Amino acid sequence: MWVKLILLILFCLMIAGAVHFAKPRESEERSSSSNSSGSVRLLTWNIGYAELEDDTRAHDKDLPAVAELIRRESPDAVALQELTGKAQLNTLLKLLNGEYRGAVAQQGRGDRFEAVLVKDTGATFTPVPVGERYALAASFRSHSEIVLISAHADAFNASRRRAYTEALMDWVETRAQSATVFIAGDFNFELKAANETNLYTDNLKHDSESYSHILRSFRDLGRTAGDTAINDRRIDYIFGPTQSGNVGRVAVLRDAAVGRMDHWPLLVEARF
Amino acid sequence: MFTLLKLELEKLFRARSFYLSFIVLIGFVVLMLWGFYTYAARKTGGEAVEQFKYTYESKQYFNGLTFALYSLLFSFTLLLPIFVSMSAGSQIASEARSGTLRMICTRPISRASLILSKFMVTALHAGLLLTFFIGLNLIVGLIFVGWGNLELYPGPLNLVDAPGKIMRDDALMRFGYAALSGTWALLVIAALALLCSVIFDSPVQATVMTIAAYLTLYIVGRVEFFEHLRPYFFTTDMEFWRDVFKPEIPWQNLWHYACVCGAYTAGLLLATVLIFERKDIVT
Repeated sequence: MWVKLILLILFCLMIAGAVHFAKPRESEERSSSSNSSGSVRLLTWNIGYAELEDDTRAHDKDLPAVAELIRRESPDAVALQELTGKAQLNTLLKLLNGEYRGAVAQQGRGDRFEAVLVKDTGATFTPVPVGERYALAASFRSHSEIVLISAHADAFNASRRRAYTEALMDWVETRAQSATVFIAGDFNFELKAANETNLYTDNLKHDSESYSHILRSFRDLGRTAGDTAINDRRIDYIFGPTQSGNVGRVAVLRDAAVGRMDHWPLLVEARF
Repeated sequence: MFTLLKLELEKLFRARSFYLSFIVLIGFVVLMLWGFYTYAARKTGGEAVEQFKYTYESKQYFNGLTFALYSLLFSFTLLLPIFVSMSAGSQIASEARSGTLRMICTRPISRASLILSKFMVTALHAGLLLTFFIGLNLIVGLIFVGWGNLELYPGPLNLVDAPGKIMRDDALMRFGYAALSGTWALLVIAALALLCSVIFDSPVQATVMTIAAYLTLYIVGRVEFFEHLRPYFFTTDMEFWRDVFKPEIPWQNLWHYACVCGAYTAGLLLATVLIFERKDIVT
């Protein structure tokens, strides 16, 4: 009898312990006070569609919704990915009533373009050659000179993502000496620690090396915000300088996607 | 109870399968050493930097502690549960098969005490296996690979979501913690196998059923279709033991899952006792 009693008590104690130590739900948005000198509000969004669609690039009919979100959140700069070209950028700038300036990257190997929109009218845009593709950098002023790069790494090949990241970082390291650099975009790194697996695959290793390479000189500012794409994937990032102070609002805006978009915008308020 | 324990311990140390489990683990460490050595040589050689400029897989990264960690993580998922299932699955069923269970139950001992003593012996076996395996890996790692700090990167092993480092002495302490947390996690398998051992009269059937249940949940939990079911599998809760290797141990999370595993173990043991007490032993 006493064995059963002990086991029953142990069972109840363990249940009580599990309830007691259960983690409280973490808030996705965190704010903190900071005594840093400047702050910048950045947004990145891959506005393309999921793989099942005929055309997975951004669709014209979604641009008003994209513009509406930008107006609502009012970021200082926006990094966009998977635009079909300059025409879509112009439509978007028009929808934003001239509040933003923007440019699209040069065409590389693919059929889609990265773009950057900036509030600062004095912003300048520079193409960033990364292997067979192009990212785009925008340089603008907010307290000090800031460079925001819109990047989009290969979706299907981790080895190509790694080569892309290395080329991008080579370019970034030269610019980081004279300006505060932020890198934003869809890197497609599959590194979620919650997807526990002991399989040591080459793809995982490449993504790990790429991400770690960026983190040698940058900080993953959106780490606490959660998934940025469907199927519980966190593949969109905003990286900022390691010495940046407290990060203000960090959020994935999950009500923003329209049509068959498979990504949500990531918003970061960085203080530096 | 102490006499029962003593008898069960004697049976354990006389069993060939007890020593076989240690021999297989030694074989696994040898295999791991060969794999790790050749991989490290390839990755730190000229070929590794031909394609990519940056890599964290340097000579400093590949050390005895990294070797021990990889070996432990790879084996914990599949190898150790098999031995624990074998040990626990044979506890009652093998007595039933050999006809000694009936004789034992005619003695003036409660069936509940018998189950408890058999479980405690299985728990000891699991603890010894894991401690031996960790110790062996660390010694082999020290002798053949050399020591350094434990560097962790996101992705492989999925322990961290940002690069981190655990200093050597602290890392050694973490392996000590892993022996405790790992044994605690393995007790869920032991309790399940003991339940199967009471339900089935064949030790092979009990062991196979336990491994089948474990592997099914483990594999299904990794298929994205069933991602939402994953939190309800005991195989998911068992993974808490790895948290001791995170640069900052998430203690609250660790205690939570340790309690969940404890509840599984206690619940399964209680069910085992209740079923065994009502079991008509006809063999």
